[in-house]
Amino acid sequence: MLAYIGRRLAIAIATVLAAVVISFLLVHATPGSPGAVVLGPSGTPAQIAAKNHELGWDRPLWIQFLDYLGHLVRGDLGVSLIDGRSIGADLAARLPVTASIAVLATLLSGVVGIVLGVTAAVRGGWLARIITVGSGIGLSLPAFWVGILFVLVLSLQLNLLPATGYIALSQDPLGWLGSILLPVLTLTVGGAAIIARTAAAGMREALGQEHIRTLRALGTPTWRIRYVHALRFTSVPVVSVLGIQFIGLFGGSVIIENLFALPGLGQASQAAVSAHDFPALIGVVIVATAVVVVTNLLLDLMVAALDPKVRTA
Amino acid sequence: MSAASGTRTTEVAAAAPALEVTDLVVRYGTSRKARLAPPAIDRVTFDIRPGETLGLVGESGSGKSTIGKSVLGLQPPTSGTVLLHGRDITKASLKERRGLAVDLRVVFQDPYSSLNPSRTIGQTLVEPLAVLGVRRAEALQRARATLESVGLPADAADRYPAQFSGGQRQRIAIARALVCDPKVVVLDEPVSALDLSTQATVLNLLADLRDQRDLAFLFIAHDLGVVRFLAQRVVVLYRGQIMESGPVEPVTQGPQHPYTVALTAAAPVPRPAEQAARREAREALGFRTAGVAAPAAAGCPFAPRCPLVTDVCRAERPPLRHAGDSLSACHHAERVPSLRPVPVP
Amino acid sequence: MSVLPLDAADEVAPEPAAPTARRRGMPWFLRRPGGLLGAAWLVLIVVASFTAPLWRPYRVDDQDLAHRLALPSGAHLLGTDPLGRDLLSRVVTAGAEPLLASFVTVVVAFGIGLPLALIAAERGRRVERVLSRSTEVMLALPLVIILLAVIGVIGAQTYVVMAVLGVLISAAVYRIMLGVAQSVRQRLYIDAARVNGIGSLKVNLVHVLPSMATVAAVQAAQLFGIGLLINAGLAFLGFGPGEPQPSWGFMIQDASKHIYDDPWLLVPSGLALALTVVAANELADALAHRAAGERTVARRRPGRTPASPADGAPSASAVLEVRGLTVAVDGGPTLVSDVSFSLGAGRVLGLVGESGCGKTMTARSLLGLLPDGVSVSGGAILWRGRDLVGLSERELNAVRGQEIAMISQEPMVALDPMFSIAYQLTQPLRRFRGLSRTEARSTAVELLEQVGIVDPARVLKSFPHQLSGGMAQRVAIALALTGRPKLLIADEPTTALDVTVQAEILTLLRDLVREIDLSIVIVSHDLGVVADLCDDVAVMYAGEVVESGTAAAVLDEPAHPYTMALLRANPHVPEGAAVPVRLASIAGAVPPPGSWPSGCRFASRCRFARDECRKPFPALPAHGSGSVRCIRVDELQREQVTWDADAVGAELETGAGVPA
Repeated sequence: MLAYIGRRLAIAIATVLAAVVISFLLVHATPGSPGAVVLGPSGTPAQIAAKNHELGWDRPLWIQFLDYLGHLVRGDLGVSLIDGRSIGADLAARLPVTASIAVLATLLSGVVGIVLGVTAAVRGGWLARIITVGSGIGLSLPAFWVGILFVLVLSLQLNLLPATGYIALSQDPLGWLGSILLPVLTLTVGGAAIIARTAAAGMREALGQEHIRTLRALGTPTWRIRYVHALRFTSVPVVSVLGIQFIGLFGGSVIIENLFALPGLGQASQAAVSAHDFPALIGVVIVATAVVVVTNLLLDLMVAALDPKVRTA
Repeated sequence: MSAASGTRTTEVAAAAPALEVTDLVVRYGTSRKARLAPPAIDRVTFDIRPGETLGLVGESGSGKSTIGKSVLGLQPPTSGTVLLHGRDITKASLKERRGLAVDLRVVFQDPYSSLNPSRTIGQTLVEPLAVLGVRRAEALQRARATLESVGLPADAADRYPAQFSGGQRQRIAIARALVCDPKVVVLDEPVSALDLSTQATVLNLLADLRDQRDLAFLFIAHDLGVVRFLAQRVVVLYRGQIMESGPVEPVTQGPQHPYTVALTAAAPVPRPAEQAARREAREALGFRTAGVAAPAAAGCPFAPRCPLVTDVCRAERPPLRHAGDSLSACHHAERVPSLRPVPVP
Repeated sequence: MSVLPLDAADEVAPEPAAPTARRRGMPWFLRRPGGLLGAAWLVLIVVASFTAPLWRPYRVDDQDLAHRLALPSGAHLLGTDPLGRDLLSRVVTAGAEPLLASFVTVVVAFGIGLPLALIAAERGRRVERVLSRSTEVMLALPLVIILLAVIGVIGAQTYVVMAVLGVLISAAVYRIMLGVAQSVRQRLYIDAARVNGIGSLKVNLVHVLPSMATVAAVQAAQLFGIGLLINAGLAFLGFGPGEPQPSWGFMIQDASKHIYDDPWLLVPSGLALALTVVAANELADALAHRAAGERTVARRRPGRTPASPADGAPSASAVLEVRGLTVAVDGGPTLVSDVSFSLGAGRVLGLVGESGCGKTMTARSLLGLLPDGVSVSGGAILWRGRDLVGLSERELNAVRGQEIAMISQEPMVALDPMFSIAYQLTQPLRRFRGLSRTEARSTAVELLEQVGIVDPARVLKSFPHQLSGGMAQRVAIALALTGRPKLLIADEPTTALDVTVQAEILTLLRDLVREIDLSIVIVSHDLGVVADLCDDVAVMYAGEVVESGTAAAVLDEPAHPYTMALLRANPHVPEGAAVPVRLASIAGAVPPPGSWPSGCRFASRCRFARDECRKPFPALPAHGSGSVRCIRVDELQREQVTWDADAVGAELETGAGVPA
């Protein structure tokens, strides 16, 4: 078990390092330079060269890389080329926005998806068919389109929720919930659909297992067979998919934050790309990767806790 | 350390071995942990002469199938040699193996997964011939002839495996082994997935083919009764080591190793009175349950279950030595006959 | 954004059906409405978008300023956008790029992932580990953000960006395909091809890849949908083709600005995108359906025909009396017909026969545990005088475990892999015996000792995968004893075990019969097991009992030709006897349910069959209280016929392997 955790940790570190290398190389492969970005179209080539020299851009690539790594381990992500603000501080302020939405959407997807999936597997018949078809459509719908529909219905027609903007949890808990509910609901449509399918497939497989017949032969009550034994069997794939989903939500936050004008990580990455703010871009990639890596670690621990075969290996 | 001594037929003993396996060792994995664990196959030696069937008997985990795979080149041995007609094929490359395919063939246990369901029987049978460069028309001709020689109609070549029963599929697998007229065939549990009546026909077929074509069989099985029917000599394996080897009648009727005694005594016979007597005799012997304790690496692997066990068994691995008509790897081989269950006839 | 389809990783590659076995007409995935509609829509949208320049009513930048934000009309079938451009022309034209770009993603992802998976599956642990660890790193990178970074560097070059997506997603393809490739490589025909001397490339192309095709197609279709969504998402953010070129994503972005004044604008572009992704996923589902194997669940339970004219009251000594039991697939063939036997307290009955003879169905019907879609259609199962057939699930649950228990063939899968042995044993103990947690635990220890486990404490802490097969079967027996049953149904309890372990389990079962007066119905194909354990035997063939009686009578003096043949096919000869040169065999195979003849079902394989055997006849009394289903039984006995061994060389004759 210790070796297992050690291996997962090594992969986690390797992943973050890979993200740093990839983004660093991408940025340096760009035809533009930070000097040109800072000075804008008015800068002369000499001014740009001077600025690049000041920023250290003309040093050999590997020195810049080591320099960056040195700062990174101290938690310093550099400053923005556009407004000179600390990237670390900026992303730290944005992380809670994206995290709130991703966590809430994952939890809601889990609850709704498991209820639907288990119902489909256990009840069968027309209800199962409706859930199957519905989840098939749900996971195919583009989130940004669903989001607009929600805005149309819930904000504009029914005037229930604000369409855009973010209110911090510390400021106004109820307002916070209201401000992220629309994006959360939007993301839950696809998320719950995938979980419902996973849970339904898992339950069907579980209920067809030989050990379920052993339990039936012992006269075990049906609720216990379904909701203790079969559900436990299903929990491993469901938790794995939930984790993958959380990672997907984090990576895909760009689009939903753009739609609902939320000041999260995704918005920062879109802005950095549009403005060619290279340090900010690298910063976003690293933070997002770090979140994914931590999630994966937690996920592995959860799967180990659920599955005795993994735990005792 | 050859198990060749005392074969049933003298003309067989006179010929040079078709297959010789010497000091075969197989370890799985290369990690430090794997190197410290006991090997899957530990110094196994045997040979087979043309027209002879050698039975390789053992329970799950005995390594009998691994030996078959090593002979076929599907599992590289860690050390030891495999000679085919005196030629060393232990480390033969795939290219060199192509030539061997003529002489060394295999029939697997599971007739369902051993035939590719999306290819016709003809395609399956022609495959080894194509590798040898036989022209297509001739290859198909030979495939049809071979199908007929195993009791199937020639037009079976145009059909798919799904259209055949388990027993028929095993005939097809045998045809695939025989299509390029081999000298040595590895039979890896060829009848254990079959029902009793089908098993009988396939065993009869194998015996007929062996007698007709002078084939050498390496017959891997878990059932001593089946081995006694088909084989002339037998090697009994336990945890990757040879426990006993020798001519089939002495080994099955008068075992010289406690493990062989356990195996013969445990197989139930379909005659209630005789079985009741055998059972009582077996229970009186005092064999211990499988898997109580792992054997000491240095000692006899069967020591934890053996009723004859003494300190020397736990400390020292017994060498194979002559006992009765066979070779036995037991420190107390001379005491083994006292274990022999003597049921009331 | 959607999630990678990793959940399909466990999907085992299906055995491809033989081409000739395919039903004529449409391929399987078009037989389902989802598959048909999905494929139809995909074909329609592909053809429409790539031919759009040839037939679209307007060019994409034609502005009709008089009709901005128009609703559908004769002039503009789908209405117009804020600049008065025709939406139909724009939506259809916009399809070409995402369709092609997603295709690029799929090709790149499979182009990298599939070969790597094949290599990893072939080369073994070390290569597999290196490749798998690298893909784990790739899978943990945030996809969309990396893509944005790429766009930041090279600009919004759709095809390059989507190819990069393909590279990133190839890690997921690798992982799914690796699992499939490994399972295909386990099949013996791969080994057979290698023994043939077939080169590695050819083995992969001819034997491995075709077996992976279905799963690959499913994954490709799903990945295509994901590609469409990501492509549209990027366009939504403004990283698609620039104006005036249309793209679905940017058209939706445009619509989002006009939801106040023209919600209709959302519909054409959104629906085109959504329908295309739905179509891809539906097609994937339809393709996957064969991978999973069709499972029809019949809910309807037909009424039971009353018990066949079985005579009189239940016999006094029997605890279990089965009369005229018939089991059938609902609306389908009969699997077990008119089976009768009875069992006294503390006695062991063996149901013996070859596979496909209905032994397991008979045994399972005793507990009401038939598979879905199979039910008892006639006869009675009298358990201590009470008919179990037709009882509700609730009533049966009161019988299961406490009166009748069951153990099965595969002990390793009969126990729940997720729970400790302690939990699995104490839970029914508390339910059945009303014990406290600690009482249940000490009783569990006693039970484990009773079934011959020497270190119960350690076993209690274990999980099923940590036990050997013999240990697991002992635990399964202990589990069956938790409710103090009077009858144990044992379905091939030793078939999966080694012969020395089998002997120990048989001894254990015999001890239980003696010690706690247990009755056992044991299903076995092994006549030796039956001879060892059973008092009574019922030999089954093609769904019916052909011979029954005491074990000694049936096995020592078989009256039915089938029983005679089975005994002579067994290579375990009596002590001291010589091994036969050839064994006795039975030509042909057991006829499958639904094709049983009306007379003797064994007649077509029987050496002693005459014309009279092909007419229906009843079972005749034999072996005292037993029966035999052979019309010629007296004649055969008088002539003292035996089912002899085959002649040497008989199997080499052409057609020897073909049923008569």
